[in-house]
Parts: sequence; C-alpha cells; structure tokens
Amino acid sequence: MADLLSIGKTGLFASKKSLETTGHNLANANTEGFSRQRVIQQTGIPIVKGGLIHGTGSRIKNVVRIHNEHVEKKLHDATSEHSFFKEKAFQLAQVEDVFNEINQDGLNKVLNKFFNSFRELGNQPENETIRSYVRDNAKLVLKDFKRIKTTLDSIDKNISRKVQANVVAINQIITNVATLNKKIATSESSSDEASDLRDSRDNKINQLSEFFQTKVYSDGKGRYVVSAEGVGTLVAGGEAQLLAVGGDNRTGSEPDGRMHVYFKNRPSYPFTNKIKKGELAAMIAVRDQDIGQLRKNVDLVAFEFINTVNAIHRRGYVNRQVKLDPQGKAIDNNKNHPINGINFFAVPKELKNISENIALSKEVLADLSNITTAMSPNSPGDNRIALAISKLQSEKILDNGTTTLEEKYLQSIGTIGLISGKAKLNADQSHGILNQTKSVKERFSGVSIDEEAANMVRYQHAYDASAKVMKTAEEMFQTVLSIKR
Amino acid sequence: MSRVSENSSSAAVNFAISRAKSKLEDLQLKGSTMKSMNRPSDNPVSNIESLTIKSATADNKQYMRNSNFAQLNLSATEHALENITDILVKTKEIGIAQASDLYNSDVRKNISNEVVQLRNELLVISNKRIGNKYIFGGYATTKPPFDKDGNYRGDSGQMALEISKDFFIPINLNGSEIFFSDDDSSAKMAHPLEKFQQMERTPKYDVGKEPKQLEDEKEESLQKIDHSIQEKQTQKRDLASNAEHQNSFKPRDNIFSQLNTFIVALESNDPKLIQDLLEKFDNSISRLITLRTRVGSLMNSLESAKSGIDQENIDFATRQSQISDADVAELFSDIQKQQQILKTTYQAGKASLNRTLMDFVL
Repeated sequence: MADLLSIGKTGLFASKKSLETTGHNLANANTEGFSRQRVIQQTGIPIVKGGLIHGTGSRIKNVVRIHNEHVEKKLHDATSEHSFFKEKAFQLAQVEDVFNEINQDGLNKVLNKFFNSFRELGNQPENETIRSYVRDNAKLVLKDFKRIKTTLDSIDKNISRKVQANVVAINQIITNVATLNKKIATSESSSDEASDLRDSRDNKINQLSEFFQTKVYSDGKGRYVVSAEGVGTLVAGGEAQLLAVGGDNRTGSEPDGRMHVYFKNRPSYPFTNKIKKGELAAMIAVRDQDIGQLRKNVDLVAFEFINTVNAIHRRGYVNRQVKLDPQGKAIDNNKNHPINGINFFAVPKELKNISENIALSKEVLADLSNITTAMSPNSPGDNRIALAISKLQSEKILDNGTTTLEEKYLQSIGTIGLISGKAKLNADQSHGILNQTKSVKERFSGVSIDEEAANMVRYQHAYDASAKVMKTAEEMFQTVLSIKR
Repeated sequence: MSRVSENSSSAAVNFAISRAKSKLEDLQLKGSTMKSMNRPSDNPVSNIESLTIKSATADNKQYMRNSNFAQLNLSATEHALENITDILVKTKEIGIAQASDLYNSDVRKNISNEVVQLRNELLVISNKRIGNKYIFGGYATTKPPFDKDGNYRGDSGQMALEISKDFFIPINLNGSEIFFSDDDSSAKMAHPLEKFQQMERTPKYDVGKEPKQLEDEKEESLQKIDHSIQEKQTQKRDLASNAEHQNSFKPRDNIFSQLNTFIVALESNDPKLIQDLLEKFDNSISRLITLRTRVGSLMNSLESAKSGIDQENIDFATRQSQISDADVAELFSDIQKQQQILKTTYQAGKASLNRTLMDFVL
C-alpha cells in the first residue's frame, strides 16, 4: 500500500509539473522568441518482486522546448534579407525625393528656364531687364545644384550616424550572446537543456541578423560561435569581439570622409564594404555606391554646364559702348572693366564637389551689362551669343558627344527611380518570405492557447485521478488499521 | 492540417491587414493627387518621358514668344518697305512727268520741294523704331541708323530667332540691304550658329588634367575661331559703312543718293539726268518688291511654325496625360474594391482572434 501511495504521488508530481509547464507556456504566449515547452514523462523503473514486475508510477524525464534549428536558421537568413531591402528602399526613397519633379520643380525645370531665359534675351538683347531675368534664373540653377548636393550630403551623414548607432546596438547584442553562452554552459552542465536561455539566445541572434547576415554553429558544449558573413567571428564561447566605427583619423586608412566599421582591436582593417545583407550592408551600399554615383553625375553635369556656358560667354562683348581703334578693333585697356572674355560663372577650382561651390562670376554679379550677347563690340542688337548659349540645351556635350546635359541628368533620375523601385519590390517580396518563415516557426514552436487549455483540462484530470489513487491508498490504510480494533 | 499558434494566427491577421491598408493608402494618394505616379520609382521610364515632355513644352512656350516677337518685327519691316515703295513710286511718277521737256525750270524747282519732302519722309521711315530699338540698324539698334544726309551708320548684322527647335529665321533687314542696291549680302541667311564649331564636338575633359589647364586649351581653340569671325565681321562693316561711300569716286546706288540726285537734277533743270534716274528708280522698286516677298515668305513660315508648335503642344499634353494622370474611373473602382477587402479582412480577423477554447471548457 505504500507502493500505491508512492505511485499516486509520482502521478501527482508529474501532473503538477505538466500543469506548471502549461502555465509557463501560457504566461509566455506573447514572449518574443519563446518556444513552447513540453514535459517528457516516463514510466518509473519497474521492480521485480515475488516474480512479478511492478510498475512504480511515472517520472519526469525532462522539460524540452519544441524547436527546429533548421527553421531558426532560415528565419535568421530571411530576417537579414528583408532588413537589407527594407532599409535600402527606405534610404533610396529619401534619395529619390531629391530628384522628384512630378509635383514640384527641380533642376530639370530650372535648367530649362535658364536656357529659355537666354532665348528671351535673344529676342531683345539690348534689354537690361531681361538680363536681370537671366541672372536670376542662373542663380536658381546654382541654388538647385546646391540643394541637390546638400540634401545628398545630409542623407549620407544620417546614414553614417545610423551606422554608428547600429554598431552600439550590435556590441550590446554580441556581449549578451557571449554572456548567455556562459550561462547556458554552466546550467546545462548540471541539468538538461536550458530551454529559456536558449530561446533568448536565438532571439538575440535574430536581432543580430537584422544588421547583417549571421552564421552560427554550436561548439559542442552548447555554446554558439557567431560570425558575420564576410567579416569574421564576433562571438566565440564566452568572448565577444566588439566592433567600432571611426572616420578618417583612424590610423592606416585612406581618408575618404566616411565612417568605417572595424574590429575594436584591429582599427586598421575596416570591413565596411564586406558586410553582407542586413541593414548595415544596405546603408553602406546606398551611401558608398548609389549616392556616390549620383553625386559624381550631378557634379559632372554642373562642371560641363558651367564650362560650356563660360566658353561661349567669354567670346561675347559687353553690352556697353566701347571705343574702337582705326581698324575697327575694340580697345581693351582697362583691366578692371574687361569688354570681352568674361566668364558667366566663376571658374571652378576642381571637379569634385563642384555643385556645392559654384557661383556666378564677379563681373556678372557686379554689372548686368557684363552679360554678353554680341559677338562684335558695339552691337547691342547682336544676339548670337545668347542664341548659342540657349542652343547648349540640345548640344550633345557629354560622354564623348553623345549626351546632352538634360539627358545626362535625366539618366541619373531614371537610374535612381529604377533602383529605388526595385528595392521597394524586393522589400515587399522579402517581407512576404520573412512572414512565411516566421509563421512556419510560430506554427511549430508557438504557444496555442487552445492546445494549452486542452492540456490544462487533461493534466488537471490526471492530477485529480492521482489524488484519488492516494486517497484510495489512505482508505486502504484505514481499512487495514481498523482490522485490529 | 497545420498547427496554429497564437502568434502565427495574429501575425497572419496583421500581415493581411497591413497589406490591405498599404494598398488603400497608395490608392488614396493617387486619388488625392489625381496622378498615376507620385515618385520617380513609381514608373521610372514614364517619369523621364514626362520630364522630357515638360521641358519640350516649356521650350515651345518660349518658341511661341519668339515667334510673336519675330512677327512684330517682320510686320513692322513689311510696313516700312511698303511705305518706302510708295514713296519711290510717287517719286518715279514725278520723275516720268519731269523727264520730258514739257516743264520749265521754275516748275521743276517747285517740284523739287515735294521731292525733298518725300526724302525726309523716307528718312523717318529708315529710322523706324520698335520700342527703343531701331529696326534697320543691323546690330546697332540703339542709335539711328541713318543720319540726316542719308548716310548709313549701322552694320550688316542679321538678327535671327529660333522659332521652333533648330529653326532660325532672320527678323530684320538692315539698312544697307534696303537702301543700297549693290549689297549682295541680302539674299542669304546663314545659320546664326554656324561659326560655333566647338559645339559640334565635345570638349574633352581628361580626369587627370586640371580644369585650369583644360580651360586654357579650350580658350586657344576658341580664339582661333574668334579671330576668323572677327575678320569677316570687320570686312562686312567696311562694305556697308558710308565712310567708304563718301570717299569713293563713283557714288553708290543708294535710294537716298537717288533722291538727292533727283533733287539736284530738278533744281538744275536737267531732264537728261532725270531720264537716267528713272531706270534706277525701277531697279530700287523691284529690289524692294523682292525684299517684301522675302519678308512675306518669312511671315508665312512663321505662321506654319506657330501652328506646328500648337499641334505639338496638343500632342504633348495628350501624351503627358496618358503618362502621369490617374484613370479616375479605374482608380475609384479600385478604391471601392480595396475598401471592401479591408472590411472583410477585419471581419475575418475578428472571427479568428476573439475565441479560444478557454471560453468553453473552463
């Protein structure tokens, strides 16, 4: 009868433990990364007594989490894939806004206005008012070149800032993973799988996968070795290799004015461009490739624009009365008031960042009559220079004489529109895949309240029944004891 | 049958709702702007086409302005030519009458006063202005092209305007063309930009070279061209200028000098000279008629260019609308449909989220 009592007790324990686990599952139904747990129950070790095999009730073998490593890996990959495209679409949307001329005016419009203002000046080359209209339009062009440049720069800076913030977050996560590695190793040395700790470690890896593509394997003692694809090991056992960011003042690197990512203890080996997938790779690709290319194209357009306008403008004579020598040649002896060879725009010092530094020449700023229209002195009605400048609009002066300024600029807009559209599409698609993978994981590991409710009823019944068994045993004791009376 | 957990079903509902909502938002934006695209990435290719059309439309607007301006100039020129012809015809009639020996010197002297008056009228016409601009001065538009003796002070500049893409027409006749018969520059209208060879080929910029250095190279080549233009220019000026005319032995055949000679002939009672002049008057008149035909044909091509631009503008507007305007009927039926989808998504979500076994067994 003592056997009966103890069998009842084991049943009671097992049911209670199962109920506890059900409770734990329900309590964590909404915990991110939680995998439902299950009690593995076994029969007690049977004993042989009097030639009979006696069962000894049940025992709890262990509590395991329902988890699929393969699905987990797929989830990490889908996460880094999606966050790559999501971030890329987000950043490119900002970039394309700079070139959005659908509902507002942009460089294309002001360039067009600039050339048409020279056509207008061609109508009435002797008119001072139109000269000032031309100058105002030229200023608008310069302003828009600057707007594009500064907006692109600020997107670039924001990306660098975000990279910096990301690295801080990454460092925190990998430190956490290293700590979890240690905890898991300790707790699993004395017992079975530490499900909850493993769940939170997997969750951390998933967070890490948002930043870049991760590669994870177990070192045999239940500790993870985490590395970033293309970069190197970040966590090995209980040790984390921290990352750092820095600009040009880092030792041993080519200064390019940009923020770079490297291992804290190896500052001379930046791996900014080696990061694959994830938010970081997307931001760096947009910053270093897309924005870089756009900036180069806009600079080139600005450079060619300024130089060709200048080249034509220099050949014109000022719109003032000029003294002629007996041969009909203009006398040009006042250095401060040139009559010919005047630049319209200030001559740029270098091609790089030109769109930021462009300005009208000081002559044009000082005196409207320095805007030239005539190819011969004292010819106020001569509009040939103005016409020639207006015709630059359709001259193929770029890319070895195959592209006009407008075409080149529109090409840039087209490219940015295309890649932005592609990134958006990819982001939508990868979002679908991520959701699918998440749902596969959740279907497998997630808590179902219905299921837990059914289990609760089941385990409670078992608990009740085991208690009944014990009660019966107690009654049997009473019966036996009452024999003596 | 696959297992369903709390998170998987709520995620499914979330995903469905957010997808339906983002589609509705997109449609709403299209509805509020009435445009089928609002960002370059919505349709990169059409966006470029739309921008090109916008530029071309703006250019056309300017060409239209240019055409109107050219029309103003040409019709003023035409009127002036008509008046000059009238004066010459009148002069010729007088000349025919006076060529015979019917009249004596007194009558001729009186008649000469009338011719002097005609000459003054001619001078006024020759210094005709539009606004502040003298139209017969070539490029010298700010000072009177003819002095009171009928000497030409302008040059042979020909002002051209672009009235539709790459189509330039001259908008002025210079004084020498009209009043000096032996100037042969009148017949041809050169493209105003033919001297700008450097626009044909690209100035190359090697990345390695400093812009300053490149500038210098370019400058050099430009100066060469410059020089040749300069030479031509001054040559032409000499041809037209009256300085040469005054010194030359043989007087140039000039309408003013014809009138002056006529006045002298009348005053000196010289019917022989008047007879000689008659032929010259005829020559001048026929030249003026040729010029008028030229102006007339320019006006015609202006008109046709203008109607061409009008037609082009309509085509552009049509294309622009096709590219960027939203199809209203389609848009609103889409919105309606999407609203319905969102509503059913909500209802479906309500069915799956609100009930658990707990409600029944415990």
